[in-house]
Amino acid sequence: MFPAVSFNLSAIQADHLMLAATGYGVVFMSLIILYLVFSVLPHLLEARFGKKANDTEPASARAQVARQSGEVNASIAMALHMYFTELHDQETAILTIKKAAKNYSPWNSKIYNVINFKGTVR
Amino acid sequence: MQGILRFLEYSGFMNVTPGHVLMILIGILFIYLAVRHEYEPLLLVPIGFGILIGNTPFLENAGLQLGIYEQGSVMNYLYQGVLKGIFPPLIFLGIGAMTDFSTLLSNPKLILLGAAAQLGIFLTYLGAIALGFTNPESASIGIIGGADGPTAIFISSRLAPHLIGSIAIAAYSYMALVPVIQPPIMRLLTTPEERKIKMKPPRSVSKTEKVVFPIAGLLLTGFIAPGALPLLGMLFFGNLLKESMVTKRLADTARNAMIDIVTIILGLTVGASTQATTFLTPQSVLIFVLGALSFMISTAGGVLFAKLMNMFLKGDNKINPLIGAAGVSAVPDSARVAQIEGLKADPTNHLLMHAMAPNVAGVIGSAVAAGIMISYLM
Repeated sequence: MFPAVSFNLSAIQADHLMLAATGYGVVFMSLIILYLVFSVLPHLLEARFGKKANDTEPASARAQVARQSGEVNASIAMALHMYFTELHDQETAILTIKKAAKNYSPWNSKIYNVINFKGTVR
Repeated sequence: MQGILRFLEYSGFMNVTPGHVLMILIGILFIYLAVRHEYEPLLLVPIGFGILIGNTPFLENAGLQLGIYEQGSVMNYLYQGVLKGIFPPLIFLGIGAMTDFSTLLSNPKLILLGAAAQLGIFLTYLGAIALGFTNPESASIGIIGGADGPTAIFISSRLAPHLIGSIAIAAYSYMALVPVIQPPIMRLLTTPEERKIKMKPPRSVSKTEKVVFPIAGLLLTGFIAPGALPLLGMLFFGNLLKESMVTKRLADTARNAMIDIVTIILGLTVGASTQATTFLTPQSVLIFVLGALSFMISTAGGVLFAKLMNMFLKGDNKINPLIGAAGVSAVPDSARVAQIEGLKADPTNHLLMHAMAPNVAGVIGSAVAAGIMISYLM
């Protein structure tokens, strides 16, 4: 069913190598450009918006915001989450015990059928 | 009597071949892997069931308009979305609307891992050429190493439509098998000390950066590789819907209802396209082998490049090379694998957030690679 497979390196021509090398190079180049742009962008934004903030906020407040680490943010988020999820606006005040017994139904009652249909057969 | 014979002639029992049985077993295996082991269930269940639909035998060429390759059949209409490359960009729109690029923005150097991990695409392209595949076929096969199903479908719909079934099945199978394929390569290429490297926590990213990213990202990558515009355009558009915070309804639709609908139709039709009579060929087997190789090389490329970067980085800027493997995209499974392997080396070392950066960069990288291939070969 399966013909023999041959791995023929000579089938790889210069233009194939060129495509592979150029392709990989271009992928790298486009992502390097993204890397460069987004490495510089935060500094640009800081310079642009930081300047505005300088006029409105006291220096101590700015320094505090800048120094907040991810861990501090995570702790604040966790504390808020716990606070909000543990709030109980309303309690139902009804204690329920789950009923386990099945409701009686003549449709699935064996004894009902035995008693009632016995006479009919006669 | 003639009626009975005619009925039998049309029934599956009279038309079944060993190929059909094999493919039905593969379909059941896919469903089993998805249900029992939860390997990419959102993909493997539709694909697995699609394989069952596509391989239920019937009398072909009898004008019944049943098979996916028969003009006028319902499945054929649905399959047009795959053949014409409509579904992959829609999937990318949903991915963009659900992806948070802030880990990548907080540590942009990790973007480079997403580029390095595309190595498998180009080496496998050369391998496929050596095995006798044509130039466009080889490019379509190589893209499996990008571990990105929609990209693989998109490029093969353009360059090698006759191979879509095999390529899509291979790509999605290997994406589902990320937790099996990647860890041995990651362990082989890293030392226990490297696996214990703790990376500094990512900084917080401003809303402005998040809004600028999809716009700048589209323009920069689109200008370099216009062939990837349908994919990257939708990816970044979806991300802008999410990050702008003013189009919440559109973002919600893109990342929930729309992507779900497209995934169902795409998975089902790709599965059904594996009709044994057209799918079971020596070429399909070779594509599966090359796809696995491509995936492994890409994983190795990401890990090795992270090690290379570490030679130039100092102190807490060093990168845990395990996250390099996440550069193959396969969001978020390969990032999850990096996290699990990191925890095995050091139970206090959480790499998930860091691994998401090369992971999403890999999506961009594989789309750019596809765009370049399309630009060169169409």
